[in-house]
Amino acid sequence: MTHILKRLLTAVAVVALASPAFARDITVDLAGEPSSLDPHLQWNPDSYYVYRNIFDNLVTRDNDGKIAPQIATSWNQISDTQLELTIREGVTFHDGSPLTPEDVVYSVKRITNPDFGSPQLGQFNQITDAKIVDGSKVMLTTAGPYPALMAQLVKLSIVPKKIVEKLGKDAFNAAPVGSGPYAFNKWSRGVSVTLNRNDAYWGAAGPFENAIFRAVPDAATRVADLLAGTADLVVSIDSDAGIQLKGNAKVKLLSAPTERVGYVGLNLDKPPFNDPDLRKAASLAIDRLGITEGLLQAGEVPMAQMASPAHFGYSPDIPAFEYDPAKAKELTAAKSELASTPATLATAPVFDQRIVQAVQQMLNDVGFNVSISMTDMPTYLNIVRSEPAENSELSFGRWSCACQDADGITYPTLHSKSRWSRVNVPEIDALLEKARVSLDVKTRQNAYTKVHQMVRENHYLLPMYQAAVLYGSSSDLEFMPTANESMFLNRMSISE
Amino acid sequence: MLRFLLNRGGQALIAAFGVVTLVFFIQRLSGDPTALLLPETATQADIDAMRVTLGLDRPLIVQYWAFLSDLLRFDLGRSFVQNADVWDIVSSRIPKTLQLAFGALVVALLIGLPMGLIMAITRGKHVSKFIMWIVLACQSMPTFWSGIMMILVFGVWLRWLPSSGTGTFAHLIMPSIALGLLSLATYARITRAAVLDELGKDYVRSARARGVRTGRLVRHHLLRNSMIPIISITALELSQLLAGAVIVETVFAWPGLGLLTVQSIAARDFVVVQTIVLMGAFVTIFANLAADILYSVVDPRVRLAGQS
Repeated sequence: MTHILKRLLTAVAVVALASPAFARDITVDLAGEPSSLDPHLQWNPDSYYVYRNIFDNLVTRDNDGKIAPQIATSWNQISDTQLELTIREGVTFHDGSPLTPEDVVYSVKRITNPDFGSPQLGQFNQITDAKIVDGSKVMLTTAGPYPALMAQLVKLSIVPKKIVEKLGKDAFNAAPVGSGPYAFNKWSRGVSVTLNRNDAYWGAAGPFENAIFRAVPDAATRVADLLAGTADLVVSIDSDAGIQLKGNAKVKLLSAPTERVGYVGLNLDKPPFNDPDLRKAASLAIDRLGITEGLLQAGEVPMAQMASPAHFGYSPDIPAFEYDPAKAKELTAAKSELASTPATLATAPVFDQRIVQAVQQMLNDVGFNVSISMTDMPTYLNIVRSEPAENSELSFGRWSCACQDADGITYPTLHSKSRWSRVNVPEIDALLEKARVSLDVKTRQNAYTKVHQMVRENHYLLPMYQAAVLYGSSSDLEFMPTANESMFLNRMSISE
Repeated sequence: MLRFLLNRGGQALIAAFGVVTLVFFIQRLSGDPTALLLPETATQADIDAMRVTLGLDRPLIVQYWAFLSDLLRFDLGRSFVQNADVWDIVSSRIPKTLQLAFGALVVALLIGLPMGLIMAITRGKHVSKFIMWIVLACQSMPTFWSGIMMILVFGVWLRWLPSSGTGTFAHLIMPSIALGLLSLATYARITRAAVLDELGKDYVRSARARGVRTGRLVRHHLLRNSMIPIISITALELSQLLAGAVIVETVFAWPGLGLLTVQSIAARDFVVVQTIVLMGAFVTIFANLAADILYSVVDPRVRLAGQS
């Protein structure tokens, strides 16, 4: 009897030891709960961190930022306005039903339908039609040649037509069904969302059996959760919190440059920055390296163009801005009266106020008269998007188009037709329009390089830095942060 | 009595209506939520389209009318941000806030009362001074600091308690203490004052003269007689606790109404804010109404004053 028992115990021990040690759950602390889990509705980080694990998108970006197949296995530009996508076979939704080209067409039509009212409409409204061709392919038609189409399709999630139609908008949002590596399990309002691994996933589903995304609004608490071992991955922390993590062997700090570009907008219609010399002085006065390396310390990189290496259209040949406060002082001294015109620097709480204060200080040190105007976000948006006469003299902003294409950042901030832009230069407009509709990579790149050069020479606005994002993770979690701030659970692993 | 009830009920309704109207207009004067819902790259056309979807393009008075008529049908509306029925969102938070307020009240009473009592009995001695020092510390520590310190000590270093979140009884302990500290100080001081007041009275002296022991004296005489001011501040403290939960809820990721309010205000989620304020107003107004009615039941002079 004892013999058998011994054997049994040994067997149990062997099984226990042999079973994969990495079979565990992951807990991610986000700053807020998702606004929606229907991928065609609200679009903000706390939502898409979660729902992009539930859904597959038409295409995706790999960890190096290259566009890679997901539901579309290949694509072919048939004409200037037509793109043909081959749809992956053998993909099933979490309820077991197959994902068909019909679902793809439905998803495109759903998000582009103005009556649906998706906040993401602006990213997809160039698509005018979607239809099935040859039974297994989908043809997308755009209003005109649209080079950023593939970059936008990275964000287009495929939803199951039958289920969405049956459940309706609200019920689908409350219990979404996708085809992704993780299936929705439970949403405790205000607390957390729980996902379970989809073992029937067509690709690698990742090492975690369950994933819990929690809403933890206070950054210090998120860091404490990580240190206490109750969270495996935390987002939205700053470099001060990062320092706390650095000395601890159980956790690690991860950083990646993003596609957000911080910049100081100038009002070209109002003194003092209607004067080119004073714009130059402002640029010379700002110590970009000091701000990124001394102040922010999260891996930000100074930029001299409205693009980053994460964007198509970034030009590596644009030289960095000079920092020369003495020269700036000379320029302002020559026009001291104009330079001392009171100027307001518009900002909102969401931006890092250390930067705003540093910029104010640096500008005032060389003879400007800048004061900070901090308002809540909607008011700030109103100010920076108003006509030049009502607009502030200066504004701080951080731009992201989530498309990694220079079009999404230069057009809104530099084209005269954009509400964000206080620049009105016909040549820039023409270049931006050309790049927007050309499918030729070289033509586009040249146009953007020229725009970057003009902006740099004339200081139409002051690019500052490429923002970085920090994550805290447990030391055995392998997670590679990307420029588009994605968080795919199936690309993570546990080190032994 | 009926006339009194109708009178007070009418007043309550007018007050609720006033609060709702005020909140409706002030919120809408403070800015447009559309810009926050859309990506930065949104064009004016996108913004306009969203305004139509949300019904924000209509004249303010039309929106107000629609809001009032929906309200009469008990339809509180949908959250702009969360795409869900607002009552579902708000009602899921109510039990959490009540739990926390109750937990804090228990902490405040269980620790604050004995502290006050000991301070009064040992007045002038070192013990009393030491406890007073603790009470002052409780009163002056800001919640966001004491909360984070507790998380650090009990959540990160000792790992006795979960560092944040909700779900089990253990989750409730630290937030309750953090929120209860201030009330604890209030209770301790009020109790001390009330007991000291009683200590000087004749019945205490005669009891002592009869040789009643301190323990018995406290239990049977002092505590009971000192209870009156303590009970009356409890009602006040409870509403204080409900209001003061905002910071504690943020620090401990406690999904209560306070946290929801702050987040909804920041996101300009008008419908959610309206509902929470409406609820707060109703609770306050009807609690007062109930108190008034009770008062008139206890003291007939109030009712008679209404009739004359």
